Amino acid sequence: MSAKELDLLQGTLDVLVLRALSWQPMHGYAVARFIRQGSGQTFKVLDGALYTALHRMEERGWVDAEWGASDKKKRAKFYRLTTAGRRALRSETQSWNDYVAAVGRVMTATPESV
Amino acid sequence: MSVERDIDAELRFHFEARMEELVAQGLSREDARRQALSEFGDVDDTRAALREIDSRVARRRNRAELLDAFVHDVVYSARALRRTPAVSLAIVLTLALGLGANASMFSLLDTIYLRPPAGVVAPGEIRRVWSEQRFRTGMQFWSGFDYSAYSAIVRSLDGRARVTMYHAGTRRLGRGEGAPVVHVVGAPSSYFGVLGVKPLRGRLYTADEDGLMQAAPVAVISESFWQEHFGGDPAALGRQLDFAQGKVTIIGVAAPGFRGIDLDAADVWMPTLTALAVPPTRRTPWWQDSGINGFQVVLRPARNAREGELAQRVTQALRQSSAGDFRIDSTAVAEFGGINIARGPGKVSNEMQVASRLAGVAIIVLLIACANVVNLLLARAVSRRREIAVRLALGVSRSRLIRLLVTESVLLALLALVAAIAAARWGGGLLRNLLMPKIEWADAPLDWRVLAFALFVALSAGLLAGLVPALQASSPDLTNSLRAGTRDDAPYRSRLRNFLVMSQAALSVVLLVGAVLFVQSLRNVKEHDFGYAVRQLAFATVDFDSRDSVRDAAFPSRMRALESRVAAIPGVDRVSLMQFHPKGGFATTDYFPDADTTAHKKPIGFLTGVTPSFFETTGTKLLRGRTFPTDASLGGPFTTIVNKAMADALWPNQDPIGRCVRFGKPDAPCATVIGVAQTALMLSIDEPPTPRLYVSVDNPPAKIYTGRELVVRGDARRLPAAMKSVREILRAEFPGSIPRISTMSQTMEPEYRPWDLGAKLFTLFGVLALVVASIGVFSTVSYAVSRRMHEFGVRIALGARGTDVVQLVVSEGLKTVVAGVVAGVLLALAAGKLVASLLYGIKPSDPASMAIVAATLIAIAMAAALIPAWKAARSDPVSALRAD
Repeated sequence: MSAKELDLLQGTLDVLVLRALSWQPMHGYAVARFIRQGSGQTFKVLDGALYTALHRMEERGWVDAEWGASDKKKRAKFYRLTTAGRRALRSETQSWNDYVAAVGRVMTATPESV
Repeated sequence: MSVERDIDAELRFHFEARMEELVAQGLSREDARRQALSEFGDVDDTRAALREIDSRVARRRNRAELLDAFVHDVVYSARALRRTPAVSLAIVLTLALGLGANASMFSLLDTIYLRPPAGVVAPGEIRRVWSEQRFRTGMQFWSGFDYSAYSAIVRSLDGRARVTMYHAGTRRLGRGEGAPVVHVVGAPSSYFGVLGVKPLRGRLYTADEDGLMQAAPVAVISESFWQEHFGGDPAALGRQLDFAQGKVTIIGVAAPGFRGIDLDAADVWMPTLTALAVPPTRRTPWWQDSGINGFQVVLRPARNAREGELAQRVTQALRQSSAGDFRIDSTAVAEFGGINIARGPGKVSNEMQVASRLAGVAIIVLLIACANVVNLLLARAVSRRREIAVRLALGVSRSRLIRLLVTESVLLALLALVAAIAAARWGGGLLRNLLMPKIEWADAPLDWRVLAFALFVALSAGLLAGLVPALQASSPDLTNSLRAGTRDDAPYRSRLRNFLVMSQAALSVVLLVGAVLFVQSLRNVKEHDFGYAVRQLAFATVDFDSRDSVRDAAFPSRMRALESRVAAIPGVDRVSLMQFHPKGGFATTDYFPDADTTAHKKPIGFLTGVTPSFFETTGTKLLRGRTFPTDASLGGPFTTIVNKAMADALWPNQDPIGRCVRFGKPDAPCATVIGVAQTALMLSIDEPPTPRLYVSVDNPPAKIYTGRELVVRGDARRLPAAMKSVREILRAEFPGSIPRISTMSQTMEPEYRPWDLGAKLFTLFGVLALVVASIGVFSTVSYAVSRRMHEFGVRIALGARGTDVVQLVVSEGLKTVVAGVVAGVLLALAAGKLVASLLYGIKPSDPASMAIVAATLIAIAMAAALIPAWKAARSDPVSALRAD
């Protein structure tokens, strides 16, 4: 599946995950918590989809994975953004903003101005 | 699998963390678990998806690691090789020799058998037509047809295939002795269509231009002929090529690379009639003459045609069209062959049979080289065992270590490949010239197929030669050597090395026996009495550029008049005149002997016209009777001389002298048999005894082609100078002619070639094998000696004499070699039947040959062992003991 074919949700999820990791390396659960809290429970992301996204990004070279210890000294898999990941975040953010703006214009348009 | 373990660990951590958080928010453990699960979605699906992604990642990572390790191995190996340059060089040279020999042989066999001619579209589809035809030696597949047979083939296939034919020959371009010889192909216009040849410049000739009654004097030239003779000038189109047979205008240049479909590269193509202009003296034109039967017929079957059916049609057509023909009879079968003519189904020439044996020889050389390389690598692996033991102790896996050692040998093999390719470039050309010196080869000996073959062989040899020592050196008990010190040499390892030396010796014996057998065969064949005093004979005649009926009619008598002038040249003992050069052709006649020919078939009447001095000049012995009278003149009583084969066939157990042979018609005047000559060579050495009849050119009882060829006998050393004078005489007598002078030795050279080739190449390869094998003996013994210097020192300290030590070392080295020689003799006996048919006057099991080879090999091995043995004898007991 090429990046262009990803559906809306998938693309959205990717940009959210990249955004989460842009602060600091974190494990999957921390990413899930970041999205859940950041969205103010507005939308639900299935955790399974989140992990799939993480692993796919690892395959694509956007993130590196490494085993480390969590705050509670448990073994956890940590994900860190790579240079390619940062580049992806920038372009995904841009297209997300364009998308939001476009949707916004449509939502505020009246039939006369079309 | 670690991928699954990692996924499970990651998900477990997720659920634990989430439940912990939910429990902290006040949920029961059970509720927390349910909520975490519902937030997650389908766990099994997710796990499967993750597994798929992760194993992809893992695979990719493994590949990258392997590549890294490989690069490291190569760098490490290169460094190791540089540390021991002498051993590395020895290995590279040995392998280069074996690879070069194989690449050269492959290059030759590839050009002849496998590589299709360049410039032909889909050459695999092209079929050559062969048919069984009668030869002096019996029925045999032949690819030449007369024109009416070709027409019958075309009619029989009736559109099921596109058929064409061609005739290849040579012509002089321009006039006189210095005129260059070009290869000319005469073919109808369909030739280009069937082969799919397009013009590079100009055009090809059309069907309108290649009629039977009238053809345009036009020619298409090859691209390389265009470059060579016209410098690639476009203005060459429209220019004329001035052949003695007539001028032709160049109308086109064929696409680059196309040089016809024979081994001989064609320069010029022209319509069949233009190439084979009908001489005015000849009553039957070539398309009605069944004697003009050298047309090669090729075809490209239509898409839906079945080859078997096509061949059957051709068989039918040939049987019908050749009714009453001497060559093709009612049982003859037609078959199709590939575009490479050597692939048959015709008879394989002796040269090619020798070449295929030599391919086997080249492989043996490579095996010997590999054995030697294994030996050298083993020696080095053993001397490096401390390093290897340390690596094993440090936890390097055995497979990793084997990979490292094999990389090293493959690297060596690749270095050898570079040297081998250079050698093959040279060797391939050399082999071509040795085997078929007259062929104008169309393309270079090396092409990508040869390179691919050489690369494949080099990699296999590298793997083979590296794997054995690598497995040995990395065996687990080697770690013991770290503890045990360095002096002991595990006995099994020296067994392996001895085995290698033994097999080298054995294979060398096989090659050397082959060399001796071929050298003997060559000598036998050269000393065999073929009825000609080969070394003392030379032949001389002249060719004319054009026809001149007055001159041509007077030619025989003028040649006859030259006999006495040539006889007066210093160095010339005897001169005679004969009809044809002994291998240049033959004439046949119908004849009626006063013998009972109902009991057995009358032999073909091969007829030779000679002058009276013929027999004492050539050395063909008269077994009975006398030669022709010197005072014979036209109108006198007719006489004839038969050879022994003819006498035995016509008058078995009777006296042939005084019998009667009538030539031409049953009621022709009687020619009395006045002598019986030895059965001399007719056309080739391997022919069966050929019956023939001799008549005098002065008073021929049959219509014969008159004497054209001067036979000169003289002292072998003075003959070349004498023939120069003969050339001057011919030039003066026939101004503007082209004298053609050859010695009988030159004429016989192609006949000797199979044995000559076998002798040269078996000897070359045999000596190479011997050198490599003695290096093997030398290095094995030297190595053993260096390991045992301590022991020798002790022995000498205890009072052993130097000669005792020498004896000990040499006898141990020789034991192996003698075992190898015995094995080699057995192998040579077994392989004997492969070459038996190619030998001359000697059996493959010839005991003298075996003995010579065995003695030589043992003597050389002894010499190779003596050098390290002397070193052992001189070992200083003090320093040997102090070293500990």
